[in-house]
Amino acid sequence: MDGWLLSDGDLRGWLAALLSSGSRLIAPVEEDGLTVFRAVASAEAVSLDGYGTSRWSPKEALFPSTEALFSYRLEGNDVALATPPAGEEEQVLFAVRPCDAAGLARLDEMFLADGEDSLYASRRARTATVSLACESARPECFCTAVGGSPAGADGSDLQLVSLGEEWLLRPLTEKGAALAGAASERWAPAPDEALARAEEQRLAVEASIGGGAVPGEWASVLESAFANPLWQQLGERCLSCGICAYVCPSCSCFDVGDEGSAFCGTRCRIWDSCTFAQFTRHASGHNPRSGQPARYRQRVLHKFSYFPLEHEGRFMCVGCGRCVKLCPVGLDIRHSVELVAADAAGSADA
Amino acid sequence: MSGNGNGFLPHLTRIAAAREETPDVRTLRLEFVEPDVGSSLEWRAGQFACFTVFGAGESVFTIANPPSRPGYVECTFKELGKVTEALRGLSSGQVVGFRGPYGNSFPLEEWQGRDLVFVGGGIGMAAVAAPLRFVLDRRADFGDVVVLNGARTVADLVFKDEMDEWARIERVRVVRTVDPGGEAPGWNGEVGLIPDVFERLGLEPEGRIVVVCGPPIMLHFMLIALDKLGFAPEQVVTTLENRMKCGVGECGHCNVGRFVVCRDGPVITAAQLATLPADM
Repeated sequence: MDGWLLSDGDLRGWLAALLSSGSRLIAPVEEDGLTVFRAVASAEAVSLDGYGTSRWSPKEALFPSTEALFSYRLEGNDVALATPPAGEEEQVLFAVRPCDAAGLARLDEMFLADGEDSLYASRRARTATVSLACESARPECFCTAVGGSPAGADGSDLQLVSLGEEWLLRPLTEKGAALAGAASERWAPAPDEALARAEEQRLAVEASIGGGAVPGEWASVLESAFANPLWQQLGERCLSCGICAYVCPSCSCFDVGDEGSAFCGTRCRIWDSCTFAQFTRHASGHNPRSGQPARYRQRVLHKFSYFPLEHEGRFMCVGCGRCVKLCPVGLDIRHSVELVAADAAGSADA
Repeated sequence: MSGNGNGFLPHLTRIAAAREETPDVRTLRLEFVEPDVGSSLEWRAGQFACFTVFGAGESVFTIANPPSRPGYVECTFKELGKVTEALRGLSSGQVVGFRGPYGNSFPLEEWQGRDLVFVGGGIGMAAVAAPLRFVLDRRADFGDVVVLNGARTVADLVFKDEMDEWARIERVRVVRTVDPGGEAPGWNGEVGLIPDVFERLGLEPEGRIVVVCGPPIMLHFMLIALDKLGFAPEQVVTTLENRMKCGVGECGHCNVGRFVVCRDGPVITAAQLATLPADM
């Protein structure tokens, strides 16, 4: 099955059916002029018009910014522990951009590999992802530089393509086909002409994204360039605000701490950022990454060197460009990678 | 590991005994509230665990008792932050959370028959305690043992009673030292920094394994001294003590380059250490 051609009514009808089946539907909505992902209660609430990238990536639906691990209560001289109730409802992540869907696939590699994280795994198993191919690129986009595409399939169960008045919906996994389910029996199979238009759109958007692909061998080049003096120049601009990590669809670092009192409370995990000074600070006061340049270097190297070297070359960056757009001092991670790798490669040739 | 499929849920233990090592270092013996958990707990010397004071948080310490002394766990910690301060405030019978063991361990099987040196500086002595105690519990399986322990002052020396017991064991030599100015009336040990005292011991490198744990600055100069004395990097083993939050390779806090300390460490040879980026 190459896909179906849906009218807007078909699409909203399908979403309404998913909602009435009890699924949680997490979709883009407009809020104060920004697009954000929210659980919606009606298909009409979903906003697909002129949606570029959401302010935050949809990873929150799988890896919440704050998550209870367990609660504790002191009872006399005993401690009672309780785990949060395991969710059971299915959830559909709808109309996420292909870069963000790829971000979820990177999170899978962090949380489901060697010794899976049960909280993440449980949510992941109950989640289906419908991506929405990009109709255009924004200035900060660079998915094609890191192995992605405006119509990339990585991390998607189904993909939706906007064809003006109509929608092309393509199943990419068995889970995706199952999600289309009975509704798909009423949909028209996509004609070749629709598939061709989708392909044209992909090529046009790809062509509009500037810059070449980050060469795979740069992962090793960067690892050897750990002591390159350019890290100092680049990293001393970093303000340690952490926005890059918070908006990143693939950043997975977290802190663990207790919220509450000595009598009762909750142990939580909370998103964290390697650019924060406290991130590696020992109790003794010793800090292995004592300056901001060392912390910025860690961020870049984890995504473009350490992770790909351990994961068959896949970068832990999906090119969504949020960090580039929102960095208050204009640090551009792709530019940093190019600068250091080119300098290191140049000095190796010399 | 823990029940309910949630790896972050600790087992409950109670403080069975507490021992003051120094004014700010304490050793706790923890027994499991569910006896089955304690009796079935398996670990290897060098592995660590995450210890919880409910309401304060979680800290990472090495499991200080060797697997040759099963059924309970011991930790030796220095009061330095929020959790260790709260932990020091607990007394016998109170509840401490435990999850673990995590990480790799010292290759004690490979070291059978070899001469061993255990060097611990300050609270770093806690990190060499488990393999050292294991070796002494299996005395016949190993060669000569030298223990070199140092601290800033006499008051900061840990395991005082145990050191005396160890010194009485056959083919065990215990040397204690304090930093210049840290001696007290009646002190009959060495005075000097650990790397200098180590050099004065005149140990031949041949066939010997040196386990060395301590603050970063001590480690730095010990590695230089060991190299100068002709110890190959493969003969020198230490532990990395980075800040950790999850213990299972997920949270992103403890890596040194591609080496994820909680998963690939904490035990590491000087040879491996030399391949890591200078991110320590």
